[in-house]
Amino acid sequence: MAIEDIFEAVLTFNKVAVAEGVKAELDAGTEIDSILNEALIGALDVVGKKFSEGEMFVPEMLQAAKAMKAGLEVLKPYLRSESVASKGTVIIGTVKGDQHDIGKNLVAMMIEGAGFEVVDMGVNVDADRFVKAVSEHNAGVLCLSALLTTTMPAMENAVAVIKKSGLAVKTIIGGAPVTVTFADQVGADGYSDDAPSAVELVRKLMAT
Amino acid sequence: MNRAIINFDQKILDTIHKHSLELLHDTGIRFPNEKALGIFKKHGFRTDGEMVFFEEKDIRKTMEAVPSAFSIKARNPEKSIRIGEDNYVMAPGYGPPFIIEPSGEKRDATMTDVEKFCKLVQTSKYLDFNSSIVVQPNDVPVETAHLDILLATMILTDKPIMGSSVSETAARDSLKLAEIIWDNTDEPVMISLVDSLSPLQYASEMIDSIMVFAQAGQPLIIHSACTLGASGPITVAGSLVISNATTLAGICLANLVNPGTPVVYGLGGTPMEMKTGGYINASPEDAKHIAIVTAMGRYYNIPCRSQGALNESFCLDYQAGMESAVMLTTAALSGVHLSLHACGTYGSMVAMSYEKFIADEDLCGAMKKLMKPVEFTDDAFAMDLIRELGTSGNYLMEMHTMKRCRDEFFIPDLSIRAMHNKWLEMEPRDITQRAGKLLEKRLAEYEKPDIDPDVEKRLVQYVNKRKKV
Ligand code: B12
Repeated sequence: MAIEDIFEAVLTFNKVAVAEGVKAELDAGTEIDSILNEALIGALDVVGKKFSEGEMFVPEMLQAAKAMKAGLEVLKPYLRSESVASKGTVIIGTVKGDQHDIGKNLVAMMIEGAGFEVVDMGVNVDADRFVKAVSEHNAGVLCLSALLTTTMPAMENAVAVIKKSGLAVKTIIGGAPVTVTFADQVGADGYSDDAPSAVELVRKLMAT
Repeated sequence: MNRAIINFDQKILDTIHKHSLELLHDTGIRFPNEKALGIFKKHGFRTDGEMVFFEEKDIRKTMEAVPSAFSIKARNPEKSIRIGEDNYVMAPGYGPPFIIEPSGEKRDATMTDVEKFCKLVQTSKYLDFNSSIVVQPNDVPVETAHLDILLATMILTDKPIMGSSVSETAARDSLKLAEIIWDNTDEPVMISLVDSLSPLQYASEMIDSIMVFAQAGQPLIIHSACTLGASGPITVAGSLVISNATTLAGICLANLVNPGTPVVYGLGGTPMEMKTGGYINASPEDAKHIAIVTAMGRYYNIPCRSQGALNESFCLDYQAGMESAVMLTTAALSGVHLSLHACGTYGSMVAMSYEKFIADEDLCGAMKKLMKPVEFTDDAFAMDLIRELGTSGNYLMEMHTMKRCRDEFFIPDLSIRAMHNKWLEMEPRDITQRAGKLLEKRLAEYEKPDIDPDVEKRLVQYVNKRKKV
């Protein structure tokens, strides 16, 4: 197996082949960085591009991300702590009073697929629980979802509480009724209207 | 090959029912609500934490108790409605937080919009009642918005009302307000919508609403819907079983609280757009669910609901009309008893539009006309007249024609039925602008329905008092 085969296996959603490929490359003494960047992350970049162009469908993209993760698992023990092993942790949840989670789940899966640790808090999460989770997991980004105009105040409150806590976390928000204007108004660090751009946003915020 | 979407094979319906019972028995339904769990336990249901499990006999007993039809009193007795049997009732959009203007601009809905929609509902030839969240107003506090909407509906319309199910308090407020209007609320005076959470569970506040309204003997619409491929399997069959099991469990709770509680049965299902992860209400898959919900409604012999004129568009274009018509026609032809979202929505129910509302009314009228049985009386057969006129007949000259000329045919308010040259001269010609003109006329012609001043005063007082605490 070569780097290209792992790359190809990610694109054909073959978890077993990805894991085996990574193992084989490690045994062969291939540079860890090149397995990671050229095979795994490189493949997912192509996946992302194909998705944006409408060529790849959501479930396919999610399976590709799963396959990539299978390779990452094998690689993990060999990664130095400062490298991708800890690309960063993201906390995500739907705000207090809101039960909608389909969009939130999609965002969570895609952020996870991009190689971040994701802690999904579920629905109807109050601000204090978000604060606790952020400090517990030392998270870099907090994602809040709200689908009801009636729970947007709870979202505003969560942003304020996080700010007050003094934690060095970036907060981004989304959901059908949420707008960029609202995000600015409540002082969130970012907004996006769909899952792929949420991933871009997380990447950007994690890099700063 | 069975090509009918309307007439399902009895065997298929049996299988849907059988698989639903399997889920109810083996997997169970989650009821995260102490009080509800207590009720289930008291009646000997098997539970495990928040999961409740059902036996076939529980479901059979429930479905036998639910009436096949029931009436809801309106403030104006002439506008009372009957749900079930051959009746088809309609209500406008439910829940949209936004208004989309003819310019395409999207803005937050306000109480002024709530009031304007109340006036449109009151003057509508086709809508039977207002919905409890015709839009979600953004300029009043969230905790008491249901009071403002209920008050507006009760005063500005005299049609039946929908109770608010957003919380236990909102449900109780709905009942308290109704008691001011009707001395006797033993009979149904409202209907309220409860949505389950897919898959296989209810939110606690929805469970509270089921119990409060059932206790008061007030009808419920209990509705479950999966997003196909997200909160349920990607296949209609699989999602259908989840939704059916969940709805049946909710109906069961209502009937444990108060046997014979009138319930409208609902299940839907919407595909997730697999290319983007978006939500697409107006689709042949959604329409298929509508056909199935009516088949299952007949199977259980209880009234059923569907979505209405849903579409994914944001303006009054071909897509809006085409999708809305596919959705509502399927509902009508399948024999649905109640359509919510029958007027006014855009973009998977995310926004309301006044112009779309006016346009949808034509569609609603056409559907109601379509579903009205053809008259086969002696006068309709007109045999004497046909014999008399023979081959030389000019029926336009006859009294038989004259007497019926205003009511026999459906007459649209917005759609054009003009010659080409007249159409060219029409000012304005654009459909959105024409709808806007009709809208102005409707609002100008609106008259507040009679209400006992004392009743009105007490309704206002109740709302003001509640808003203070
Ligand atoms: C499915 C649905 C439900 C399901 C939810 C099932 C579930 N497990 O999630 C059920 C039936 C349970 C439900 C219940 C209710 N709902 Co609802 N629901 C919807 C519906 C139709 C689709 C939402 C959806 O799943 N979209 C698909 C996903 C993929 O998109 P999305 O959520 O927008 O997420 C995308 C982006 O927004 C973004 N995103 C999302 N989160 C985040 C977070 C971050 C950080 C970022 C960056 C991006 C991001 O990325 C996602 C992927 O691209 C919407 C209408 C609509 N068109 O949006 C109404 C809607 C949101 N619901 C509405 C209402 C009124 C309700 C109820 C009150 C109705 C009732 N009486 O029961 C209850 C409330 C329950 C509660 N307390 O939360 C209204 C909202 C009105 C308002 N006040 O704002 C809407 C607009 C429809 C309507 N007209 O009724 N609902």
